[in-house]
Amino acid sequence: MQPHDHHLCTRRQILAGASAGFGMLALRAMAGVPLHRRARAKNIIFCFMDGGPSHVDTFDPKPMLKKFEGKAIGSGAVSKRSQSNAGRVWFGSPWEFKQRGQSGLWVSELFPHIAQVADKLCVVRSMVGELPLHGQQNLLLHTGRILGQAPSIGSWVSYGMGTENHNLPGYVVLNNDWVPNGGLENFGSSFLPASHQATMVRAKGVPVDNIAPHDEAVIQRRKLALLARQDAEFAAGASDAQIIEGAIANYETAFRMQSAVPGIADIGGEPEYIRKLYGVDSTDEHQRFYATQALRARRLVEAGVRFVEITCPSFDGNNSPWDQHGQIRQNHAKNARITDQSVAALISDLDQRGLLDETIVLWAGEMGRTPHTPKISEACGRDHHVNGYSIFMAGGGFKGGMAFGETDEFGNSVASDPVDIHDIHATLLHQMGVDHEKLIFRHGGRDQRLTDVHGRVLRELTA
Amino acid sequence: MKLFATIACLLTALVMRAEDLFVSKVEPLLKQRCFECHSHERKIKGGLALDSKSGWEKGGESGPAIVPGKPEASLLMQALSHAEKDVKMPPKKMLPAAEIAVFAEWIRSGAPDPRVSVAKNSQDLAVDDTWDVEFHKRLDWWSLKPMRKVEPPKVDDVAWSKEPVDRFVRAALFAAKLQPAPSAELGVLRRRLSFVLTGLPPSSASASLSDEAYVDMLLQSPRFGEHFARHWMDVVRYTDTYGYEWDNPAKGAYEYRDYLIRAFNDDISFAQFLREQIAGDLLPVPRINTASQTNESLIGPMFYHLGEHRHGSSLMFNGIHQDMVNNKIDAFSKAFLATTVACARCHDHKLEAVSQHDYYALAAIFTTPRWTSRVIDAPGKNDAAIAKLKDLRTAIRAELAVAWKRPFEAAFLKQWAETHSAALKGVGAPLAAPDQFTQKAAEWRKARVAAQNANTSFKPLADPAKAQLPHGWVTEGDGMKHGFAEAGTPLIALEGDAVIASLLPRGWHTHALSSKLPGALRMPPEHLIPGRFVSLDLAGGEFGGQLVIDDHAFQNETITFYTNTLSEWKTFSDAELKNGVQQVTVEFATSSLNPNFPPRTGLAKGLKNDDFGYDKRSWLSVCGIVSHEKAGTPQDEQDSFAGLYDAADSPDSWQRIAAWFNSAVARWCEGKTQPGDQPVIDWLLTSGLLPNKAEPGSRLAALVAEYRRVEAGINFPRTVNSMDQRETAQASYPLNVRGNVDVPGTLVQPGFLKMLDPRARVTDRLELAESLLDPEHPLTARVYVNRVWQWLFGTGLVATPDDFGRLGVKPSHPELLDWLAREFIREGWSTKKLVRRLVLSQTFRQSGLVTDAARERDPENRLLHHYATRRLEAEAIRDSLLAISGRLDSQLYGRPVLPFRSAEDAAKRLFSGPLDGHGRRSIYLQMSIMDPPKFLVGFNLPDLKLPAGRRDVTNVPSQALIMLNDPFVNEMAKCWSAGLFKDKDVNREDRVRQMFGQALARVPDAAELKRWTEALQDFGGDTPDAWERLAHALFNTKEFLYYR
Repeated sequence: MQPHDHHLCTRRQILAGASAGFGMLALRAMAGVPLHRRARAKNIIFCFMDGGPSHVDTFDPKPMLKKFEGKAIGSGAVSKRSQSNAGRVWFGSPWEFKQRGQSGLWVSELFPHIAQVADKLCVVRSMVGELPLHGQQNLLLHTGRILGQAPSIGSWVSYGMGTENHNLPGYVVLNNDWVPNGGLENFGSSFLPASHQATMVRAKGVPVDNIAPHDEAVIQRRKLALLARQDAEFAAGASDAQIIEGAIANYETAFRMQSAVPGIADIGGEPEYIRKLYGVDSTDEHQRFYATQALRARRLVEAGVRFVEITCPSFDGNNSPWDQHGQIRQNHAKNARITDQSVAALISDLDQRGLLDETIVLWAGEMGRTPHTPKISEACGRDHHVNGYSIFMAGGGFKGGMAFGETDEFGNSVASDPVDIHDIHATLLHQMGVDHEKLIFRHGGRDQRLTDVHGRVLRELTA
Repeated sequence: MKLFATIACLLTALVMRAEDLFVSKVEPLLKQRCFECHSHERKIKGGLALDSKSGWEKGGESGPAIVPGKPEASLLMQALSHAEKDVKMPPKKMLPAAEIAVFAEWIRSGAPDPRVSVAKNSQDLAVDDTWDVEFHKRLDWWSLKPMRKVEPPKVDDVAWSKEPVDRFVRAALFAAKLQPAPSAELGVLRRRLSFVLTGLPPSSASASLSDEAYVDMLLQSPRFGEHFARHWMDVVRYTDTYGYEWDNPAKGAYEYRDYLIRAFNDDISFAQFLREQIAGDLLPVPRINTASQTNESLIGPMFYHLGEHRHGSSLMFNGIHQDMVNNKIDAFSKAFLATTVACARCHDHKLEAVSQHDYYALAAIFTTPRWTSRVIDAPGKNDAAIAKLKDLRTAIRAELAVAWKRPFEAAFLKQWAETHSAALKGVGAPLAAPDQFTQKAAEWRKARVAAQNANTSFKPLADPAKAQLPHGWVTEGDGMKHGFAEAGTPLIALEGDAVIASLLPRGWHTHALSSKLPGALRMPPEHLIPGRFVSLDLAGGEFGGQLVIDDHAFQNETITFYTNTLSEWKTFSDAELKNGVQQVTVEFATSSLNPNFPPRTGLAKGLKNDDFGYDKRSWLSVCGIVSHEKAGTPQDEQDSFAGLYDAADSPDSWQRIAAWFNSAVARWCEGKTQPGDQPVIDWLLTSGLLPNKAEPGSRLAALVAEYRRVEAGINFPRTVNSMDQRETAQASYPLNVRGNVDVPGTLVQPGFLKMLDPRARVTDRLELAESLLDPEHPLTARVYVNRVWQWLFGTGLVATPDDFGRLGVKPSHPELLDWLAREFIREGWSTKKLVRRLVLSQTFRQSGLVTDAARERDPENRLLHHYATRRLEAEAIRDSLLAISGRLDSQLYGRPVLPFRSAEDAAKRLFSGPLDGHGRRSIYLQMSIMDPPKFLVGFNLPDLKLPAGRRDVTNVPSQALIMLNDPFVNEMAKCWSAGLFKDKDVNREDRVRQMFGQALARVPDAAELKRWTEALQDFGGDTPDAWERLAHALFNTKEFLYYR
């Protein structure tokens, strides 16, 4: 199956830029430099709730909203971090909140399955963004900069940690050909080597572009054999043989990826109970896609992929899946139905396999939603809000069953312990054993960091 | 008196207590938490010192740190609360809540601070002087110094003595005791030349040409312009869309791309090329291209529009125009100056002689013009057709005047009214109630007087008697230029039986002659128009409409398309200028001149998502402009009925009605139409009372047919997002303290970088362009010559083409760079002459052979001891596949071709195109910021948002997967082999030779011939499938993907 194993990459080739993502730290390890501090986590699975789920309908209960429903919010509640004006009215959550598990963490009935793993969740309720706009917030969440033009967190993790499996990329986005606001740049490696950019895996159809061999195996092997001979001569005559040898080595890696990647993506071999746990048997097409991707996420981290991101399926032509400016009752419920069971399944499945300790599940949108609305109606919705919203982490050394930070009694602004996305990035890296101030890449004459010049490790969140 | 004393006492006590608080709690906290960065003993970061009262009173860059009595208004509290990312203090960790509460309490009680200033005046001054001193120190840098006048060194090597460039290179190699590589073989050199000059593999039959002739042939090929245009597109961050959330089309970007191709092919001097991109709209004599019938100069400023643009405006979300301007400054300064000015948005540059003030001065220059669409058709392109249409319209009117001469009889009208009750509205209303004549007349008089009175509060901004717009309002396009119509001007019907569609009211009608003609009316900034409100009497259709533009944010969502054929008043009130917005303007435009058309999907009702807005009829009418202080709109003074109710008495209502109609029509026929006549005649026309059909074979029918023929011959306008600086006031731009858009500082006047314009002579874009073209400018020619060098050699003499500053790399051959730059200017800034010189040099001709000594001592080949093996650029890989397989369509120019996509997103207009892009070269593929062509991205197409003077060349497995499995690559292999297989008489060996010739530009040696014919056997023998596999394998050879 691996006819070219005799042609192993030399270390020099790897350094010359060839082949799959050996990370900076991995290289340092090769050079005999100690890898990093004690790391709790090895992998991250990021459930990206694109569009901005409402915090006051999920993890941040605000009884005052019901009490004052329909009352004008007044100029004191207007903020540039919200789509807001004084005439808007408070809007109570259509969903009931309950305390869950041993910990008594509040989770609304929108997420019945996630509620069952409440004791695993470390909720941050005091997230502060920069601008209540999708494009900027998406790029901030992914690249640490509202203008983007910097690598995605997945690329940083891949770069910093390297991969444990040379036949698989370090950063995988389980997507469905969905281009989020801010563009594919959200998943890009920017100035980091291109091997750290996300590999996109589709929910339906062929999972990865160009992964299915065009030729039958025997023909392809003959082609590669022909190329090996032909290219070796060319390499000898090139000004820098290493580069050509690197390109040759890539064909070997590519050959192996052709079977490795679909193998991981194929969930056919998973037992029935696991498939059911994730909801792969759902009658809803979107839920089926999401469940498939969640299950693949687990298989990918098992196989050594460092950073896996799952996007939400888009339906009904929304600007982005969770972006319910109207019809929040109907469509937040639909988004929850699509994702809730699979996210919970992922957490409990990882836990049962003993993988949750070393895997961080990050659940986050790019923003929250306003606790107010222009006018109460059956079809009303909530608008953009970055002045206090909720995300959660599970596993990977994060404390379970806790909520950190507070918003005011209306969920309209942060009341204590503001956290920005740089802090989350810093903390995630910390749990991976990486100091966010030391994970750097020289570009544009500067030592660039995921956290730019910001970021604080939130030790309060970790065990 | 006693009471007063008591209060005073109490107050003093309170203050005392607060002062105690200061001494006991606040001061220790300041020392412990803040002094490290904000005291005279340590550092004074951000200009803020907290070791004296005057320190926080004066504050830092953002102003006073404390507002006594108001913690909520105090920057200090904001910083302590960590609410703003930019001002978190202390930066690492927020203080405990209890400590923050101490500060809040102290400030609330008036912030008493007994400390006296420790800062001496001299120290205060020192802070301001620091930059000046630093600035002058920073001017001492190679790229800011004058270009040297140097003679090429003499070298003792005949082959390297002819071309001055070689003498510089050879001398440096001598000095390093290194040998140059021998010349490359002919085939290798030809393949290299072909890729370097055209981005395509060589076509055969050129072996007999001399090198000079071969190079000249390539330079003459239109493929040269395409290839070099693509290089420049990297530099200016070319995009066909604006990215962000909706990826709106960037209007006319492809016209700019085609402009680049023409400019490189025609070898337009770089001086003109630069001038046009920076200030093409301001040139006294624009460059008109008679072949393409375009105003080339006006296309240039599309340069500014490229890159990402957010929708909406800063009035809604602060930051939109500021981020946009930042992208322009970044692109301008990197592309033309190789200087990173954008770094100075937040603070004086950390390393270069660029101050924050410089940044905002440049911002003011760039925000002086309107950022909007221009017509790029050569002036007068439609003049002949327009003159003809005007004549024909006059002739048609004359014919109608004859047909309409017959007066209406009162009895006929009476009878007609009885059978046409549905038409008796508006002008026809009096026909419905002839018996209430007196009463109606009285009502009319009353209403007329009321309207006249009300209208006194509306001040016409233009003299209605003249075809003149108010001062400061500008128009664009033939639709406006030839659109003024006297009342009653016939609008000729362009189809159907009717001769005319309607009679136009007095005003500007972009469609008066043809709805293909573009037209726009652009108002001055609202706040400069007298009165709180301005109202316009407007009509429009087919996506003619208005766009409110807040400080140049032309992707604003305040876009409206008119659907009213009868004009209506629309009022615009002065918007509150906030968030750094300096002006709000409204543009009224046909779709072709609306810089935001098509807007994001969903905003233009009736426009399909896959409609990119090309070639659309569109129209707009402007019938009045008034300003006013109170809300409301002018009322109709009902002039139309004056001829009825104010006319001489006649006892019979029907007689009066007939007389009313007849006199109006008679006046129209004589060309003496009065106010109020037009609606009357238009009503008669639409009611069918006036003949509006041409008898077949009549002169009228011939005139109408001719009108329609001429109109059909007019081309749709070509428009581009560019600049329009006519009648604009010089803008000033608020400095943003620490780059924070929410903290506006002083207004900065237009200007340029002090380091390049020490006497502050530059105040607008034209002066800016001319200043860069000073033959002694230290950067312009050096930067461009270096880019060209890099395009030809792979690495520039300065390896960082976008950064000649301290973060860049210093030149490998500084004297050569200066010599080349001077020579380039001397030879008229000719790109082709420069390219020709370089590719015919011995330096370029070197093979890729590297000696051990060279590898050891100069592994990066900075001294140019060989020609480094290069991977084909993404476009060249795709274009080569097309060319070799015979699928290349050599058509030049045109609208972007959608790339192949595996999934579509209609809401973002991300549609899929054909797998092979119709065989068009990659430069013509749609460059969407949001989802650029995947095949090209796989091979390092650069980020489309940012200038990329030099591309990455990565080497990753996904590239192998593309070459092995991508359906496009396999399709091309199939295409190629099928073509080869058609010729049955060729034996295997010869066919393999033919394939090597096409793909690798060489003859296979005996071993290779054997290897590949044996492989054919392995792949299934002499069958189409096997040849396809062989072709595919050849595409996968590294020799195909690289050139030496």
